[in-house]
Formats: sequence, C-alpha cells, structure tokens
Amino acid sequence: MTDTTIQNLQSRDPFADDNEGGGSQDGHIHIRIQQRNGRKTLTTVQGIRPDYDLKKIVKACKKEFACNGTVVEHPEYGEVIQLQGDQRQHISQFLKKVGLAREDQLKVHGF
Amino acid sequence: MDDGPMFDLTKKKKKKKGTFTLDGEMEVQKESSKSPADPAEPEEVSFEQNTEEISLDEDFSNLAKKKKKKKKPFSLTEMEESLPSGEPANDSTTTKPDSDPEPPAPEGVDPMEEGFDLGSLPMKKKKRKKVILIEPGEEEDVTDGGQGVGAVEGTTWQQDSGVEYTYDELLNRVFDIMRERNPEMVAGEKRKFIMKPPQVLRVGTKKTSFSNFADICKMLHRQPKHLLAFLLAELGTSGSIDGNNQLIIKGRFQQKQIENVLRSYIKEYVTCHTCRSPDTILQKDTRLYFLQCETCGSRCSVASIKSGFQAVTGKRAAIRARTK
Repeated sequence: MTDTTIQNLQSRDPFADDNEGGGSQDGHIHIRIQQRNGRKTLTTVQGIRPDYDLKKIVKACKKEFACNGTVVEHPEYGEVIQLQGDQRQHISQFLKKVGLAREDQLKVHGF
Repeated sequence: MDDGPMFDLTKKKKKKKGTFTLDGEMEVQKESSKSPADPAEPEEVSFEQNTEEISLDEDFSNLAKKKKKKKKPFSLTEMEESLPSGEPANDSTTTKPDSDPEPPAPEGVDPMEEGFDLGSLPMKKKKRKKVILIEPGEEEDVTDGGQGVGAVEGTTWQQDSGVEYTYDELLNRVFDIMRERNPEMVAGEKRKFIMKPPQVLRVGTKKTSFSNFADICKMLHRQPKHLLAFLLAELGTSGSIDGNNQLIIKGRFQQKQIENVLRSYIKEYVTCHTCRSPDTILQKDTRLYFLQCETCGSRCSVASIKSGFQAVTGKRAAIRARTK
C-alpha cells in the first residue's frame, strides 16, 4: 500500500513522452509516397522520434535499399526522411526489424 | 448482404457498359492474381471487376455467389470455394486458378474470423449440411474443412462425462449455437460491401481523371469534399473537381491504386468501427468528425484528414520565384 502511494507521489511529467514524432501527436510514423516526374517516386518518413539520429537511419537505409536519401527539416513536422523511389515496404520492414517502431505505429499512405 | 441488391443492380448496369481499356484489363488481371496472396487487406470491400475477357459463365458464377447462390448449378463448386478450408487461402486459390476474378473473402487467421467465415451465410450452411449427407464423397474438401462441425454434429455434449473436448470442437459448438439462435447476426457479420469500381482514365500524360467520383461519393453517402480531401492527402497530390463532376488528379494513377485508397477510405470513414456496417453517417461536431452507425448506434470519432509532410518535387527555382 505504502509503495503505491509513494509511486503516486513521484512527480512525473505527463508530457514527458508527448514529444514523440516531432509534429505527429499520435506517435505514428507516417510513410508516404509522392510522385515525381515520369514514373519516379519519393518516399517520405515522418514522425520518427527526434531522439533518434535520423542521419544515421538514413545512412543505413541508403545502404540497405540502395537508394539515395536525405533528412529535411520541416518547421511543423520536424525532421523528415526522404528516400528516392518507392521504399514504403522496405522502410516499414526496416523500422520493424531494427525495433524503431511497432506494426501499429506505422502508417503507410498512398496507393 | 442486405444492401446487396442495390449494389448488384449497379453492377449489372456496369457490365452492360463494359467500357474497359486494355490497360484496365491488365490491371484487373494483375490484381486478381495478386490479391489472394495479400492478407494485409482485412477490409471486406471488394471492387467487382468485370472485363470482357472473363468468360460469361464465370461472371455468372460470380453473380451467383454474390446473390446467395440463386443459380444452383454453380453452387457446388462455389460453395467449396467459399467455405473456409483448413488450408491457407493460397492453396485454395491455386487449385482454382482463375475461376474467380474477384479476390476471395479474406480468410481470417484467428479462429474467431474463421468461425464467422464458416457461417458466413446461414443459407449456405444449411445447404452444405444437406450436401454432405447426399454426396459425402464429392464434398471431401468441405468435410475436411468443416471437420470440427461434423464432429460436433455427431457428438452429444455431456458436461460430466469426463470427455475432454478440444478447443476447436468447443469453438465450433459455440459458433453453431450462435448461428442457430440468430441467423441474421451471422449474415450481417460477413456483409460484403460491394462497390462499383472507380473509373480511372489518364488525361494527357500528367493528369488522371476519376470519372465516377460523384457516383461513388453518393454510394458511400459522403461529401465529395471529404473524399476529395482524403484522396488528395493520401496520394500526396493536388486535384480538383471539374465541370462534369469528375475528379482530376495530378499525377499518374491506375485504377488499382485508386481502389486501394478508396478501400482505406471506406475502412476508416465509412464502415462502422464496431459492427463494420457501411450504414453510417459522418458528422462534424466541435471540429471533430464522428462516425455514427445507423445499425448498431455506435458513435466514434475518426481521425481528421491530414496531408502531412510534402516534399518538394517540382522545380525549386519556380517555387523561389513565386515566393519572391
């Protein structure tokens, strides 16, 4: 009994884990696709928690999917990964594999 | 299945039209070959595909399936197919290479779903029982698939006999009882939501037109504005509705792709999240959208449409010039 009361007394910042996914409040990682000219596409990954080093993620992704990619800073959505080509399946598998996100945290958009 | 007739009607209309371009046909074939192996689609929304290439009787068998098998001659094979078998979905499709142009109902992995599959149509079940009695040899597959049921039928359930029933047996028993007591419930559970396929055509090289956009909005009972916002946000492009109520989307999209987006729309904003009935109303209340179900009366909030991050894909110089 005493234990629980003490635990309750511990001041815990209710917003401590609220900053996940800079911008996307629900903690989802959104994977989107955009069409470019011709049959070229671009995959964007938005909402990876900012406490991860996105540059390193991109570096690993680039190597794994054999595509180019970059991290762009967006005032509203935070850091967003861009990858060339349709990497939606790849990136979702990758994020699951490395344990960055669970299945239910990923939201794959697009056609 | 209650709203079957309405959609079926539209379907027939559609068939007469038969305006499918070659690449539309190809898509359809691709999809039919792909979709059974794609278990990631839990939604029971199926776009019927009708191409001229599919032979007539196949079409009819399809029809028969949808219309709770009014056509008897096909019912046997169709039944075999529609009944859940013990094997994975892939197997059953390989045994029937292209008899079914539309993706078969996704077979649930968990026993709950399977149970519901079993009794998808109360009529079907009764029929199957009869069939088993009459010709047990021919219906080998079915008896194999519905083994549990057969066992249950034979057994008398005793509480204190000390016989340990397997989980499957008990599960089947529960579902049998459920089905017997309220057949409508089961029918409603497996309600298939059949849609007109979207008519998607390329306009020039860079734009796509979605010509029956208004019809689809009407069928879904949704504001065109809402569906438009969703489509554009999902596809990550821009677009507008032109004079004859068709949607012009920037970018190249194929029918299959639009279908996928429509499916996710229906899943999110049309079918009730509780009972999966498509009979719902979307209403806005204090800046939030709520989905009110007409069948079960549940009301839940749905996510607002957000397009999210949009990368720069155009000419950067042009953007810079515009902002200056």
